[in-house]
Amino acid sequence: MHKSLKVPKKATPYLLLFPIFIYYAVFWLAPVVSGVREVFIGMDGGFTLTENLKLMFQSELFSESVLNTAAFAAISVILQYIIALVLALLLSRKFTGSKLLMFVSMIPMAITPTATAILWKTGLVKDGWINSLLMNLHIIDQPIVFMNAEGFNAILLLIAIDTWTVTPSVMIILIAGLQGLQRELKEAAYTFGANKWQILKDITLPILKPSITTSVIMRMIAAVQVWSIAVMVLGYSKAPFLVERIAFYVDAIPGVDTSTKLAYTYSFLTTIVVLLATVVYLRVSNRNRIAGGGEEG
Amino acid sequence: MSYLEIKNLQKKYTANGPLIVNDMNLSIEKGEFIVFLGPSGCGKTTTIRMISGLEEITGGDITIDGESIVNKLPRERGVSMIFQSYAVWPHMTVYDNIAYPLKLQKLPKDEIKRRVEKAAEATEIQGLLKRYPAQMSGGQRQRVAVSRAIVVEPRLFLMDEPLSNLDAKLRVTMRTELKRIHTQQGSTSIFVTHDQSEAMSMADRIVVMYKGKIEQIGTPMEVYQDSATRFVAEFIGTPPTNFFDASIIKEGKEIYAKGEGFYYKVPASLHQALADYVGKEVDMGIRPEYIGISPQKKEGEGYLCDAEIDFIEPQGSHSILITRIGTNQNVKIHTVDYMDMKPGTKVSCYVKNEMVMFFDRETTKRIK
Repeated sequence: MHKSLKVPKKATPYLLLFPIFIYYAVFWLAPVVSGVREVFIGMDGGFTLTENLKLMFQSELFSESVLNTAAFAAISVILQYIIALVLALLLSRKFTGSKLLMFVSMIPMAITPTATAILWKTGLVKDGWINSLLMNLHIIDQPIVFMNAEGFNAILLLIAIDTWTVTPSVMIILIAGLQGLQRELKEAAYTFGANKWQILKDITLPILKPSITTSVIMRMIAAVQVWSIAVMVLGYSKAPFLVERIAFYVDAIPGVDTSTKLAYTYSFLTTIVVLLATVVYLRVSNRNRIAGGGEEG
Repeated sequence: MSYLEIKNLQKKYTANGPLIVNDMNLSIEKGEFIVFLGPSGCGKTTTIRMISGLEEITGGDITIDGESIVNKLPRERGVSMIFQSYAVWPHMTVYDNIAYPLKLQKLPKDEIKRRVEKAAEATEIQGLLKRYPAQMSGGQRQRVAVSRAIVVEPRLFLMDEPLSNLDAKLRVTMRTELKRIHTQQGSTSIFVTHDQSEAMSMADRIVVMYKGKIEQIGTPMEVYQDSATRFVAEFIGTPPTNFFDASIIKEGKEIYAKGEGFYYKVPASLHQALADYVGKEVDMGIRPEYIGISPQKKEGEGYLCDAEIDFIEPQGSHSILITRIGTNQNVKIHTVDYMDMKPGTKVSCYVKNEMVMFFDRETTKRIK
C-alpha cells in the first residue's frame, strides 16, 4: 500500500464531492452573494441597510406586484390541483378512450412558454379564435376584448392560461402516485365496508398526501416566479408580478442606476419568498414522514 | 345445508377467455379451517376474491347460512379478509387501522375502543396501538391485519396467502398463531396458499386446486396418503411422489406392473380396480417413505428392483437417498434406517405396506 495515497476515511466523501463544491461556489454562490451585496450597497457606493428596500417599496406597482403574485400563486395552484386531481382519478381508471384522453390532456406540456403565449394571444385578440368560437356557439353576441383586461381580471386571464399549461404536469405526478398505490390498500377498505367516496377521502388522498405536498410546494415556487406569460400576452406593467418587475427593470428600462438596484432588490425579495416556501415545504414533508407516510417494507 | 356453499362457481375475465374457476362445488361447515392449495394461476385467489366480493362471479352461486351473497356488497356479506401484503393503511396508527371498519359502521366511540382493545389483545399488539405501520416489522403488521379482520366479528375469514411475505421462521410461528386465533374466535376460515406444508399443518380440510378445478377435497392425511389424482400426489409431499411408467400385465391369478427396470407384483387389494387396465399403460406412484431398501438381496413380497444409491441428503431426523429406477433418474427414498449409507451402495428396493398408487393416463385419476 502506498503511504502517500492514504486519506483519512472521513475526508473521502468531501474529497469526492470537491468538484461539486467548486461548481456551486463559482456558478451559484458567487452570483448570489454579489446579488445580495448589491441590495445593501447604496447609489453612492456605501453600505446601506434600507435605502434600496425603500426604493423598492416606493417603486411604481410594488404593492400590486406583491398582491398579484400572492393571488396568482394561491388561486392557480388550488385550481390546477382540483382539475388535475379530477383528471388523474378519471384517467387512472381504464376505460375506452382513456389512453387517447391522457394523450390529448398532455399536449400543453409539450408547448414552450413562448408558443403558449402566441397561441393564447392569437385567441384573445378581438377577432381571435376564442371570440369566433364563442360567437359561433352563440354564447356571446359581441366579441370580448380580453386584452383590455386589467387588475384582477388580467390575473384571472393569466391564471387560466397558466392552468392550461401546467395542469398536465401536476396530473402526471398524481397519476404516478395513484398507480403506485397498492391496490390491496383500497380493496381492504372496500371489503371492510367503505364506499368509493370514503375510499378516496380516507385512504387514497391521505396516502397520496406526501406526493401532493411535494408537488404543491414545487408548483407554488414556480407560481411565485411567473412573468413570461404575463409579459408575452399582456406586455410589461399590465399585470405586475415580482419577477415581472425584475424583467421590467432589466429589460424595459435598462441602463438607469435605480433600475439595476430595483432589479437586484426585487430578486432578493423573490428569493426570500421562495426560501420561506421551501422551509415550509421541508417542515411539512418531514412531518409527513414521521407520521408514517413512508413506504412499506 | 352447510354453512358456506359454493355451487357451480365459474369465473371468466373475458367473454371468450378461459374459465379461471371452472364449475367449482364446495361445502364448508361452521368452524372449519379450510385451505385452498394449488400452484399460482390455479384459481384459488380468484375464488376467495369472489367470496369476498372483490371479484364478480361469471356463473354459479355462493351462499352463507343458506342465503346467497353474490349480489351483495362486501360489507353486507359479513366476511373479512387478510391480504398477502397485509394492506395495513400506512397513514393510520395501529388503533385507527383496527378501528376504521367499526367507524364505517358508525358505532359509538366507547364501543369502538372496547372492541379494538379486545382485538389487539387477541393478537398481542396492545402495546403498539399508537404506532404507525412504518415503525413496525412485517410480523407486527400482519398482526394488525389480523386484528382488523377479527374486530368486525365476521361470519367468514378469508386469508389470501397471508404468510408468504414473512421470513421462514416467523411464517412457522404465525401458522400456529393464526390457528390459535381461529380456534379462540370460533370462526370459519378459508386460507389460500401455494405452500403445501403450510396447508398440511393448518387445515381441517384441504381443497387442492389445479387449472380452475378442484382435484381433491380432504383432510391433510387423506390428500397425502390417499391422493385422488396424479397432480395431488405430485404436488403434496416433500420430496414429492416418485412416478414410474408401468404397463399392467396379467399372469394367471396375479397382476404385475411392468416398467423399465422393475417387475412389481401388484397387491391383491388392487386387482379388481386394475382389471380394466390389463394390457394398458398407467402411471405408478410411490411416496419416498414407502420405498423400503435393504442392503441384502431381498426378493419377495413388495419387491421392486435392485438399485444403486447415487446421492445422500441427510436431514438429521431422516435422510433422503437418491437413486435411478428405469427411466426415472431421480427417485427419492426417505429413510430412517440407513441414514449413513454410502453413495454407490447396491440395495434391493421394495414397496412398504402395499402403499402404491396407480393413475389413469387419460384422466390422471387414481385407480382404486
